[in-house]
Amino acid sequence: MSAILLIAVPLLTAFVSILFKKYSHYMLIAVSFLSVFALGYMDLETITIGGFDAPFGIVLILDNYSLIGLYLVNILFFIVAVLNCKEYKKLSSILLVSLAGLNGLLLTGDLFNLFVFLEVAGIAAYLITTTNKKPLATFNYLVQGTLGSSLYLLGLILLYAMFGTLNMSDMAREIGTSGYGAGVTALPFLLMFIGFGVEAKLLPFNSWAKGILASSNSLSGPMIASVYAAAISLVFGRLLTNVFVIEGTLLTIVMGILVFSLVAGEAMAFSSKKVKEILLYSSVSQAALVVLVFMTGFAGWAVYLIIGNATAKLVLFLVTNIAAKQLGDDEVDTFKGLFTNNKVVGLAFTAVTLSVVGLPFFFGFVTKMNILENMFLSGAYVWPALILITSFIEGIYFIRLLLNLWHTDGDSPEVKFDFVLKYVVVVIAVLTMIFGVYTKPVQDSADDLVVYSITEGGNF
Amino acid sequence: MKNFLAFVAVLVLGFLIITSLNNNEAFPNYGEADISERVSQAYIDRSATENPGDITFGETTDLESGPANIVTAIVADYRSFDTLGEVTVLFISSLGVALLLGGVNRKRIDLDFHPNFMLRVGSRALFGIILMTGVYVAIHGHLTPGGGFPGGAMIASSMLLLYLADDEFRVKIKGFKMLESVAGSLYVLIGLTGLLLISGGFFLENFLDNGVIGNLFSAGIVPIVYVLIGLKVGSEISGIIDNFLTEEAV
Repeated sequence: MSAILLIAVPLLTAFVSILFKKYSHYMLIAVSFLSVFALGYMDLETITIGGFDAPFGIVLILDNYSLIGLYLVNILFFIVAVLNCKEYKKLSSILLVSLAGLNGLLLTGDLFNLFVFLEVAGIAAYLITTTNKKPLATFNYLVQGTLGSSLYLLGLILLYAMFGTLNMSDMAREIGTSGYGAGVTALPFLLMFIGFGVEAKLLPFNSWAKGILASSNSLSGPMIASVYAAAISLVFGRLLTNVFVIEGTLLTIVMGILVFSLVAGEAMAFSSKKVKEILLYSSVSQAALVVLVFMTGFAGWAVYLIIGNATAKLVLFLVTNIAAKQLGDDEVDTFKGLFTNNKVVGLAFTAVTLSVVGLPFFFGFVTKMNILENMFLSGAYVWPALILITSFIEGIYFIRLLLNLWHTDGDSPEVKFDFVLKYVVVVIAVLTMIFGVYTKPVQDSADDLVVYSITEGGNF
Repeated sequence: MKNFLAFVAVLVLGFLIITSLNNNEAFPNYGEADISERVSQAYIDRSATENPGDITFGETTDLESGPANIVTAIVADYRSFDTLGEVTVLFISSLGVALLLGGVNRKRIDLDFHPNFMLRVGSRALFGIILMTGVYVAIHGHLTPGGGFPGGAMIASSMLLLYLADDEFRVKIKGFKMLESVAGSLYVLIGLTGLLLISGGFFLENFLDNGVIGNLFSAGIVPIVYVLIGLKVGSEISGIIDNFLTEEAV
């Protein structure tokens, strides 16, 4: 089965669904389920579109890297869609387009095509965040997101003027064989890095994230913080490891941005008094950590870090947003003792949080431990130290949060979680624990999971 | 203070761009890029798959890409997938406008002026001419400058004229939704035809005969796709106009 169907079918369904508004949410569920199902029948290959081989036509690349990304994004998307399809029926067509956009982002092997899908997925994201009923925050997101993708486009225009190609692997080859120093491509790569930095929530380009995620609901929170964040990080990783040449001054600037995001994100999470803000600042620093791991060259572990984060943020944002909706606000004080009445959800929430922090016997520990080990082995001592310190801060505020959620002196708040949600969070929590103990498959596959090689990527 | 900071940021960015591109050995001066080594040369020569030799307008047949208009060859043939994406961008934008502004019972916003009889009648006469020009531009997209996007925008501008010249006027928005949906679905279905019905075929492959370059009936699926894009763009922008010029009836 050709992977193009993962883009074409949701798109076709979206076009049809505007005529059948009453049934559009059934179409959404059916298509997002079929996408997950169909992934099992895909062969790893480079897919040519329109019959023109790369670099003349557009190609899609289905390799191990994009296949894992597709599984992750499609499964999480399906979960979020199922949990929200009744309440947000009106958005079904938009969600179908966003599914096509996300799949396109993960699959594409062409830099301009990437921009097109960035726009498709981006506009869908702006519309998803309109359900927060905070028009100003959404407008902010719209302006910053559009500015970010315009900077990406400007960088791409400069690269095209220099090397005359848009295909990713062809571009990498041209840059490699041109013999110019890294200085000539510093500006376009900086612009593209900033462009993606906006979408990936890197500081200081992420002022939209607070407005969006601090007032998010059970659709927009998991969608933006989990599904979109995973897709954007994976695409960012592909560009960083395959296309971008970041050296010299540019490397210093980029590393400065990442360290700043990592530390400032944790610090702001530490000082937050609202549950959603703690989660959102923690995802800011996690995003920076993922980019940092990609930049230091451990792509396989970065992918596992993304998987761990995306699944964890899905659970955390779902539980928090449902509770916040029923309790009226998301102050830690309001949430005090939330889990004394909801022990099942509470245990799952706790397990997932501990995995994010990176305690032993949880999935997060395996990834963090291996990243640290690999970094030590490669002789870079600054990064492991930084990661340890930020993990320590993270540990303090997350455990403080958990204590508050489990313990109260007064009455504990009443919150009802429905059965499907309980089922989903428990399954995810159990999986984080299973793969935290049974680490062999993770360990074995991480090294094979290298991002695609240039000869595989283009069929010219 | 904010304005001053913004000014400084713009200056720094400008300085950065100028210093890094000035005397940049990889960045060619305007008009001096050597395109013989680039993919664009293959688009002009139509030699991405095989070299057809010299191309004569109105004579050469069966090129790999049939449109006489080079821009159309790139937009709707070599990189048609991007165009499908751009169509989707407009589609989701119009969905967004409808989501934020649309509703069931809508009526025209009260305007401060009431167009007189002459304006109403005159605009209706002009409407047809603009509409036909739009359709012409979309149909001849593979031969002359223009194509589905400008053609569709012209079709929508004829609708805008009617809206502005008559404060009572409203189109049947349901019809436009139908047109939008059918045109978009057909675009994807044409793409899928190339993939599924032809053995060894590709998505969005040009499976029809390319014909003689420069003829109206040439370039295979390109004119069909461009007309569909024109209809889709026209109906989407018309829908957006309707959403902006109407309000929820109390």
